[in-house]
Parts: sequence; structure tokens; C-alpha cells
Amino acid sequence: MKRQGEKKKRKPVPRAKPEGSRDNGKPTAKAAPKSRPARGKPPKRRRGGRKAHSGTKPPPGARGGLAPAEAELRSGLELEMGEAEVASEEVPELGLGTRMVPPNVIFNEGVDSSPPPRSSTGGDVAEQIRALEARLDGMMRGARDLPQAAPEAPKTESVAAPPAEALSDSAYFEQHWGRTGLRNRSEEIDDFGLDPEYEKKTRRLSEFLYKSYFRSKTEGIGNVPADGRCIIVANHSGTLPLDGMMLRTALRLEHPVSRELRWLAEDFLFYLPFAGVFLNRVGAVRACPENAERLLAKESLVAVFPEGVHGIKKLYRERYRLQRFGRGGYIRLALRMRAPLVPCAIVGAEETNPLLYRFESLASVLGLPYIPITPTFPLLGPLGLVPAPTRWRIRFGEPINLDSYGPEAADDSLLVGRLSDRVRSSIQQMLESGLRERRSVWFG
Amino acid sequence: MAVTGAASFLGVNLIGMLEESDSVRSIVSLDVTAPRTAAKKTRVYELDLVDPTAEERVAEILAAEAIDTIVHLAFLPSPTHASAYAHEFESVGTMHLINACRRTRISKFVMWSQTMLYGAHPTNPNFLSEKHALRARRGEPYFSDKIEAENEALRFGKPGQARIVTILRTAPILGPTVDNYLTRYLGRRFVPTVLGFDPLWQFVHEADAVNAFKIAVERDVPGTFNITGDGVLPLSTVIRLVGRTPLPLPRSVADTLGGTLWLAQVAEAPPAFFDYLQYICVADGELARKVLGFRPLYTSREALIEYAGAQHLRDVKLLSETPA
Repeated sequence: MKRQGEKKKRKPVPRAKPEGSRDNGKPTAKAAPKSRPARGKPPKRRRGGRKAHSGTKPPPGARGGLAPAEAELRSGLELEMGEAEVASEEVPELGLGTRMVPPNVIFNEGVDSSPPPRSSTGGDVAEQIRALEARLDGMMRGARDLPQAAPEAPKTESVAAPPAEALSDSAYFEQHWGRTGLRNRSEEIDDFGLDPEYEKKTRRLSEFLYKSYFRSKTEGIGNVPADGRCIIVANHSGTLPLDGMMLRTALRLEHPVSRELRWLAEDFLFYLPFAGVFLNRVGAVRACPENAERLLAKESLVAVFPEGVHGIKKLYRERYRLQRFGRGGYIRLALRMRAPLVPCAIVGAEETNPLLYRFESLASVLGLPYIPITPTFPLLGPLGLVPAPTRWRIRFGEPINLDSYGPEAADDSLLVGRLSDRVRSSIQQMLESGLRERRSVWFG
Repeated sequence: MAVTGAASFLGVNLIGMLEESDSVRSIVSLDVTAPRTAAKKTRVYELDLVDPTAEERVAEILAAEAIDTIVHLAFLPSPTHASAYAHEFESVGTMHLINACRRTRISKFVMWSQTMLYGAHPTNPNFLSEKHALRARRGEPYFSDKIEAENEALRFGKPGQARIVTILRTAPILGPTVDNYLTRYLGRRFVPTVLGFDPLWQFVHEADAVNAFKIAVERDVPGTFNITGDGVLPLSTVIRLVGRTPLPLPRSVADTLGGTLWLAQVAEAPPAFFDYLQYICVADGELARKVLGFRPLYTSREALIEYAGAQHLRDVKLLSETPA
């Protein structure tokens, strides 16, 4: 008796967890056994108890299934009958109301699992008492043995509808708001912030743009190796840089093994609210040597736009004329990481948002590289930034292998400059041949 | 060996771990109060590094106890309004300690630092390596004092001297029992964020952080190491996983409001910390895995979930123990 009383005193801590802060008050040693049956939902318990006494067998899964057992707990305690053999069987079932179970599912579980032992109690008093003893014992053990109870918890996660009582619990709402807040987002993302769930949602848009809106035609996709690290070097264009996203879509849809491409995006995007976050989630990575090296070390396919901001801010009259290729960082990258380069020419993107003029003085205040003036942009408001439905042609050239130079060649500025010029002129040639073949801006 | 800041979270747990390990014969605790984990191996000295005579005293203790290894954990885990005291404690205190070490024959100096000192910038690479400069805002004493302390330690460990200086830069520490400004920030019902930004965050579990120091004590590996958990999480996911509601504010509003609340001693951190809600500051823990042999047991996500579990219990007053 003393032993049990002691345990009872300790119990409120773990037992209390699932039931919220309801019984925070510490029961005294004497009050503990009495308060036992009253814990939880007293009215329901009593109802169930009455039923049991009248000898009717309630259907399994009825509410208040726990009740009769608990109602007669006291008598069980006072009588102190012999040890119950069933104890060990009952432990897992009774241990459920412990620490690991989320608050909203406890009640259901209790309901589901309680009927079998009770139905076996029948009318035999001694039998009943013994079962109750076992039950009590199991409860105590269950309350203490957390590791035993823990594996049971996942089973309860699949409960479909929460019981009414749980809905009054603010913790329940908090938990579920948290889940709904993530409904469009994956819980785990890759190292560079690509969110697979989010990307799947935007995929519909990017595929629509690629297939139906720009009616893109891809040539020479076989030049992109099926595996291993590789750098795609492309021209950058369009006031809104859609080319990275389209290139990613092209490789996913058209490449024989549907390779995943990560493209390196300009710094300024990451200063901007929303834009940087969006691009990061759909696969863009901030352009810097550390990021590119890390991506290539993982044998991925990386697209670079060596023109950078100068590519997207060129005016309409300068279209398809490649700007300077920076300091040749991508060549150093290719040399150091021993990655082949695939030149790529995108024709059609320049006409999506033809840039007539750019404000630069005002833009620096806003943290933008420039404010574009297009035939439609400030005129039609944000709608003016919708790209024109030109026909795109994406052409991949023969891969350029720099393996003949060692990684130490990356420090040779002259060589890097020469190689960069070579790549640049091959892309320029591809652009020009693409333009020659093109009949119409709109129909290709 | 000796531990400064022994009554801090890291200090208490490190002493607790070393008490049970055979690798360390005796421990000397240097702090203003005794760590509660101190047992038979630990000798407690009450000492304040802010004290002008601290250098003298530390040197005496180090000599008397014949100490060869020092673990310097006496840093504030959260920003404080008492910035003058913080400066004396972190920057000057470290100087006192290191000068005392110079006087005696200390062969190993292990120091706690944080990856936050790299600073959150849009120009950061996604994973900052140890070679990256510490670019946290110098105007914020919480960062500048720690950077000064770290520079002091680096000077102490200049090559050529027969000393091992190991600096462990931990990612934000999260777990069921730790308490810092970050756990209080995530403990709010509405968590302020910066509108339009969702930087990637990274955590290290408290057990991993303590274990890293234990490894640094047991193995002789000089250098600076990032101690991080695997994986990154966007801030929005962090807040959702803890079950909180984000409260996005434009940066300008956040600065004014946050600054006012900080002055009113309601906010957990001054506005300089909003940088971390806006831009990325994630470190690469590869070097610690390769060279130091540190393997985190928990990913960033698991550390966060462990914290969230304990925090939920604290929310409904089922866990009354105050975190360390």
C-alpha cells in the first residue's frame, strides 16, 4: 500500500502531460488513490461504470470504455488482492497515456484499446478485481517506462478526426496551424535551399512557359553529358531573367536522363525581398566560387551566365551582342574542378521584355541595378512585366574540355582570358547562326 | 585542465561529461559560482575575470594546480544591455586569461566562439568556411567583443610557439535544456521575421556542442573549426516546426520597433540581429568532421525538434525546470 501510494504521488507528472494542465495540483499521498478515478472526464466514467454494473456488454469502441475499470479502482486498491498475472500483457496498452503521445490523440487511443479487458471481466467480482489490479499495475509501470511506451506513439498519429475535447486545446491548434503553414513546402530542403514541394508547385508554371508560351525548341541537348559535373555557359538576356528557369526546365524535359540543373543567379536578387527567396526555392544559387565548387564537387550540372547583370540590362538595340564575360571566373572554376564546359545560346529571350531605357540613379536608392523602361512596363504597371510570347530556341554546343590544362592553370590570368574569349566567341557564333535561321520572332 | 565560465551551460555540461570520462585526471573550475555538476575530480575556484587582479589570480591558480589545458567558455550566450560589463568580461577578460596563460606553461587553449560572427550578408556563400573573414556588425558589442577575444586567442596560438589553440565556432545551440536568446525568440507565440526574406538557418544540438569541446580537450588539434549540425532549414520552416506563427515586418519597421522593444528590455536581441532574419549565415562543418573527428549526432532539424518538444511542455507548464 505504501509503495503504491508513493508511486501515485509521482504519477501526476508524466500522466498529466497528455491531459494538459488540468491537474496541476499535487495530490497528497492520501488523496492520490481517490483522485485517481476522478482524473480526466469524470461524468463519462460514471456513465460507463453504471453500464458495467447492470451487466450489459457495451459494444467495443464505445465511449467511456475506460470507465468501469477506473471506477472500481479504489476497491481494487483497498482489497489488495494477489498479484495479477496479466500485468505484463496490459502494459503496452495502458502505458499509452504517457509522455510521447501528442495531446490530441490520447483520448481516442484509450477508447479504442480499452474494451477487450473489460468485456472479459463479466460478472465475477474476484476476476474483475484482479483485472483491475493488473490494470493499475500496468498503468504505473507504463507511466514509468517511457521507452516502452514510446514505440506505441507513431501508431496513434494516423487518427483521422480529433475528438471534440482536443479541439478546445490551444496546443492542438498551434500544432495544426504549424502543419498547414507548411502544406506547400517540404519539411526538408537541400543544402542550397531548393524546396522540392514548392518547386513541384511552380513546375506547372515553368512547364507552361517552356512548352506553350515560348514554344521552346532545344537543339543539341545530347552535348550535355548524362552524368558527372558539367558547366553550361549561356548568354543572359531578358529584363526579367527567365532564362535560368527555362534552362532548368529544358534539361528536365528534354534531356535523355532528365538532368537536374542548378543555375547561378546574380547577387542583387538576394538583396531583394521575395525574389531571392523565390529563386532559391526553385533552384537558383547565389553566384560565387564557393557555391559553384560545392555544387560541382557533388557532380551536379551548373549553369552560369558570365555576362551577369550586364547581360540582362543591355538595351534592345544591343540584343544578342554578348557583353564582357567578367574576369573569367567560370574558366577558373572549370580548370580547378576539372569540369567540361558546354556553351549554350538562347535565342528569343531578348525580345520578351525589350529594354528601351534604364534608370540607374534612382534604382540604386531602391537597391536595384536599374529600373527598366520597356514598351509596356511603367505604362501598364506590374502587368507590363509579363514577357512577350516569343519563340525560344535553346542550342547547346559541343562540350569544351579543359582537362589538358592542369588545375594550376587557374592562376594563369592570360590563359584564363584567352579561354574565356574562345568560349565567348563560340557562343556568339551560335547566337548568330540561330538568328540567321530564325524567320520570325514570334513563330521561330 | 581548467574550465572558465564553468557555471555556464557549456561549462556545466562539459564538466559533467569529463567527470565521467577517464581522459581527464582533474578539473579546475574558474567562475563566479560553482558548477552544479562538480564532483570529486573538480576543484572549484571562485574567480571573476572582470576583476583587475584576475590575471594575477589565474596565473597563481594555473601554476599551483599545474594545469596544461584550458577551456575558455566564459562568454555571454545572449546579448545584454550591460554592454560595458560585457566588454570587460569577454574582451578584457579573455586578455587577462591569455596573459595568465602566457606566464605559465599552458600547452592547450580551447575557446568557444560562434558562427554568427561571420555575419549575415547577402554576399555570403551558402556555406562559410573557417577561412572566411568575421564580418558580423562591429557596432554590436555582442559580436565585436567576441571577435576581439577570438583575435586575442589567434595571436596566442601563432605558429612557432609550442601551443595548441583550438577555437570552436558553434552554430546557434538548440536543445531541450539550453536557454539563450534564440530559444526565447522561438518561444514567442508570434515570432517576428523580416518581410520577403526567408534565410536558411542551421543549428547544433546542445549535446553535440558539448561533445565537440570534449573532443577538443581529448585530441590535440590546433585550428579553428565550425561546429554545426547537418542540414539547413529555412526560417519559415523553423518557426512552423516549433508551432509558432511568423509575424513578418518590413525591415525598416522591424528596426524601429525592435530597437524600441530592445531599449524597453522586452525584445531578446538588438536590431543588429535582424540581419540574421534576412540574410544567410550558415557555416560549413566539414573541416571539424575531417580534422577534429567531430560527428554530430543530431541534424539541425533534429536539434530543433528536440527543442520544440521541450518548449511545448514548458508552454503548458508541464515542464517547470528552468533551462540552464
